[in-house]
Amino acid sequence: MSIPAYPEPALTSTNRPLIEGWRRGELMLQRCSACSEIIFFPRELCPRCWSSELTWERSSGKGMVVSFSRVYSHVTEPFVVESPTVLAEIALTDGGVLLARVITTEPEAMQSGIGVELVPMPEAARYPLPTFRPIV
Amino acid sequence: MLSRDVGIIGYGSAAYDKKPRHTVFGYLGEAARAALASAGISKNELNGLSVDANLGADTAVSTAEYFGLSLSWAYKSTAAGAGPIISVTSAVRAVDAGLADYVLCLGGGAQDISSFKKRIAQFTAAVSNYLAPHGYGGPPGMHAIIQRKHMERYGTRREQLGRIAVDQRANARLNEAALLRGPMTIDDYLSAKLVADPLRLYDCVMPCSGAEALVIGPLDRAPAGKGVRLLSARERHNHPVGEIAPLCGGWELFRDALFDEAGFSPREMDFMQCYDNFPIMAAMQIEDLGFCGKGEIGRFLEENGLTHDGSFPLNTGGGQLSCGQAGGGAGLLGLVEATRQLRAEGSARQVQGASRGIVSGFGMISYGHGLSASAVIVEKA
Repeated sequence: MSIPAYPEPALTSTNRPLIEGWRRGELMLQRCSACSEIIFFPRELCPRCWSSELTWERSSGKGMVVSFSRVYSHVTEPFVVESPTVLAEIALTDGGVLLARVITTEPEAMQSGIGVELVPMPEAARYPLPTFRPIV
Repeated sequence: MLSRDVGIIGYGSAAYDKKPRHTVFGYLGEAARAALASAGISKNELNGLSVDANLGADTAVSTAEYFGLSLSWAYKSTAAGAGPIISVTSAVRAVDAGLADYVLCLGGGAQDISSFKKRIAQFTAAVSNYLAPHGYGGPPGMHAIIQRKHMERYGTRREQLGRIAVDQRANARLNEAALLRGPMTIDDYLSAKLVADPLRLYDCVMPCSGAEALVIGPLDRAPAGKGVRLLSARERHNHPVGEIAPLCGGWELFRDALFDEAGFSPREMDFMQCYDNFPIMAAMQIEDLGFCGKGEIGRFLEENGLTHDGSFPLNTGGGQLSCGQAGGGAGLLGLVEATRQLRAEGSARQVQGASRGIVSGFGMISYGHGLSASAVIVEKA
């Protein structure tokens, strides 16, 4: 019995570097050339200064959990099977804040303030968006 | 400034259902009939319409087609749960400006838990592309992140926030229209099934079907003693810019102007009806609108009773936590309950001597939180 795939983001000209970068196990983020703002989620203009001069750069993918939830109630496979999953607000060391999944075999050990890093390849390939794990 | 001569002259609600018995138009129509009867005007006197509902491809104008209305003013909100307060305020301005004689303001939805859960993966493009692929857990997942942050920064505890759910349930037990009327103790609240830690079942609103309606018109056309005046209203969207899980929602930016324009202080409110999709959001509205300081909600909830006869009557009909969240009707529920209270039609849950109160809205869930805040101060005309 095969487990259904995760929901996929729509691949667009705007988010292509993010999605394709993650297929290589890399976290690619937009930076505004005019004001240096790190932008997430991907956009066609900087929400801070409205410049369209945006570049993509590779983040180290290291960060800190600001807050999180262990999510027990899922309606879509395969999250139901994997419950509880962990969703966290993550402040990246290189700049930028995002919400992302944290993969852990010990969800009860999750705490705000812990360090996280990207899940490495080949495991990374399972997940549709940049996904993290606690730094041990 | 809002007109002192135009206001709410009638209200009505459709019966709520856990599973839809009608389309959204059926629920809106049931609430509309009740509101017209309450206002004492006929359908053909209406020439303005606002709609806050998930209508698919339909609009306020195609709603007019469905209901056989000829309109000189039509409005459909963009701010989800914060929208109906804005719609009603806009309707008062439209009547005051002579754009319409009477406006029917509708909010509702035809949904149940499973249809709602299918929709939450697609609230906005940002949600479907950057949250749903993570299994974000819908609104409970993101509000859990916000609540944990509030608890860790300010020491807020679940047993404090639980008073919101428990006291509102006590209010709902006096409201035959509420879908959830079983007794609830603080222990029930604390030990309920985990949904998205730290949120448990009774932290989470139940999506349902139903509708609410108000009629806006000249206050001298309201039945004697039954008009409700809007003293001041404000809205704020996408604040603070760029924060994903903020501990304030924008009400704090306009609360001084809101109370100044109304000419009253928070202490002079006889009740509050707020947008309670989760107790943590009700808590943030109480803080941001100045009833206690930021981060002081825990102590405020320990020191106040929130039942209709308590020191701080909150969501006197039970709120959406006990009535159910009828789509766009949830943002109108508080204003309809405020109208009921100010007309002294609250029956067993009447706040004695209620002459004015505050109603706040919240909504438009996107990447991490609801983007929209609104509030209005109302008084017996």
